[in-house]
Amino acid sequence: MSTQPTTSQPTLPARPRRGLGRDSMVRIATAVIIIGLWEFFGRQANPLLVAVPTDVLVATWDLAKTGELFAATGQSMLAFGVGFAVAAAIGMLIGVLMGVNRTVEVALDPYINALYSMPLIALVPILMLWVGIGFTAKVIIIALFAVFPVIINTLAGVRNVEKNYLDIGKAFGAGAWMSFCRIVLPSATPYIASGMRLAVSRGIIAMIVAEFLTSIAGLGGLIINYTNQFETAKAFVPVFVLAIIGNVLTAIVRVVEDRLGAWR
Amino acid sequence: MKTLSISGLSKTFVDRQGRTVEALAGFDLDVAAGEFITIVGPSGCGKTTMLRIVQGLEERTAGSVKIDGREITGPGPERGFVFQQYGLLPWLTAARNIAFALDARRVPKAEQKERIRTALETVGLAAFADHYPRQMSGGMQQRIGIARALAVDPAILLLDEPFGALDALTREILQNEMLALSERMAKTIMFVTHSIDEAIMLADRVVVMSARPGRIATIIDIDIPRPRAGRGEEIRESPAFAHHRRQLWEHLMAREVAA
Ligand SMILES: Nc1ncnc2c1ncn2[C@@H]1O[C@H](COP(=O)(O)OP(=O)(O)O)[C@@H](O)[C@H]1O
Ligand SMILES: [Mg+2]
Repeated sequence: MSTQPTTSQPTLPARPRRGLGRDSMVRIATAVIIIGLWEFFGRQANPLLVAVPTDVLVATWDLAKTGELFAATGQSMLAFGVGFAVAAAIGMLIGVLMGVNRTVEVALDPYINALYSMPLIALVPILMLWVGIGFTAKVIIIALFAVFPVIINTLAGVRNVEKNYLDIGKAFGAGAWMSFCRIVLPSATPYIASGMRLAVSRGIIAMIVAEFLTSIAGLGGLIINYTNQFETAKAFVPVFVLAIIGNVLTAIVRVVEDRLGAWR
Repeated sequence: MKTLSISGLSKTFVDRQGRTVEALAGFDLDVAAGEFITIVGPSGCGKTTMLRIVQGLEERTAGSVKIDGREITGPGPERGFVFQQYGLLPWLTAARNIAFALDARRVPKAEQKERIRTALETVGLAAFADHYPRQMSGGMQQRIGIARALAVDPAILLLDEPFGALDALTREILQNEMLALSERMAKTIMFVTHSIDEAIMLADRVVVMSARPGRIATIIDIDIPRPRAGRGEEIRESPAFAHHRRQLWEHLMAREVAA
């Protein structure tokens, strides 16, 4: 296909495999230097404010031993999973409806764009008034943050189907439903996948925001609680877990994307 | 077998700025059942447009297209189309591209496998059933497009420069295949080409179109006996072929000079 999704950042081109050994050595060296500097300078600072890597390691072990870390991760991921699924389903549905029906697009387009561009965090306190601070509130906040990139990218994908491909369906007598399932959707898949990747990162931000502002629970809750208790090392642990989760989820979306786009 | 009757066919495109392009202006042609028509003409003269209207892919501005006396209202199962370019869905393998058309035509799954295999064998690509379009050359993709049209087995076959992207050898092989097919299956065929030799080799009648807006400049009856399949060399060297070649050149050159 000649058209690539333009509504999100393109993925970086793969590097040639040649320098792989050297590249990983550079990366390991950089990591060692950063951790080393952090350990060195961290030890000179107020231990109440800064935790050094060795402290964080010990804290990780402590939190893992009590099961606290896993419980919090589970709590966060459950909310994230439900919120993301809701955003994906609703986002694709709205995006498709907007893509195939001009009236729906004209009606919704200004609101979708306005909400996508505004800092949604401003809405969180109001939402809490309406839906409280429980699990449902968290799910709604996550879905709200994640849904817009899915809508916008699905719409773009449905919109940008090549006329040539639609003509093939038409020429051989495919009905509207068949053309939609077997021409429009596959051709929109790369766009939808880009939307999903954006939705993952926005969803994780939403999850933390929700955990900070609502029921102080999950990984966000750990950060708040241990920071308030000046247990800085323990507060760092969920931060690292979040970084890992974010990268793993993005990688999963990318693998699914590659599978579905194997024809390209 | 089906007859095709086109009369007064006109098409004016209007773009978003309201500019108009008159692509076809009064195209008339009666195609007999089982007849092989080839169409030549300067590029941009409306050949693709005419074929797309007959297939039901494009609305006409005026005129009528009748199959066995009945006005067409859109694409129909009695017509198959081979696109000039971009004729395959890139996310489907060769076999699945064909299966897509068979599904659209509601051919039972049980019957599809055999039809796909036969069609791929006809174009010499049986080994490429599981290849994606990007893994094949332009010429191979074009042949898959032909295989797909053959698999749905329509009474009327519309082909838009199907061999345009092929190398000379493949082209000759497929021309011969096309002859064998049309002589065996008695299909009504409209075949657009920019090769004069190909137009003569395949056709019962060659339609020469004038520059835009397209209409018919001349129709030349090809006086070469059938069956022609397997006799390519012999036909190309025959006096009749040379005569038709000269005839066609004169018509096309006259247009060019006048234009
Ligand atoms: N969708 C379209 N919109 C506007 N103009 C078009 C469109 N399709 C074809 N044309 C114009 O109509 C004329 C005939 O085109 P076409 O039928 O493709 O010619 P040919 O196949 O003989 O080369 C050309 O001038 C072309 O630019
Ligand atoms: Mg053309």
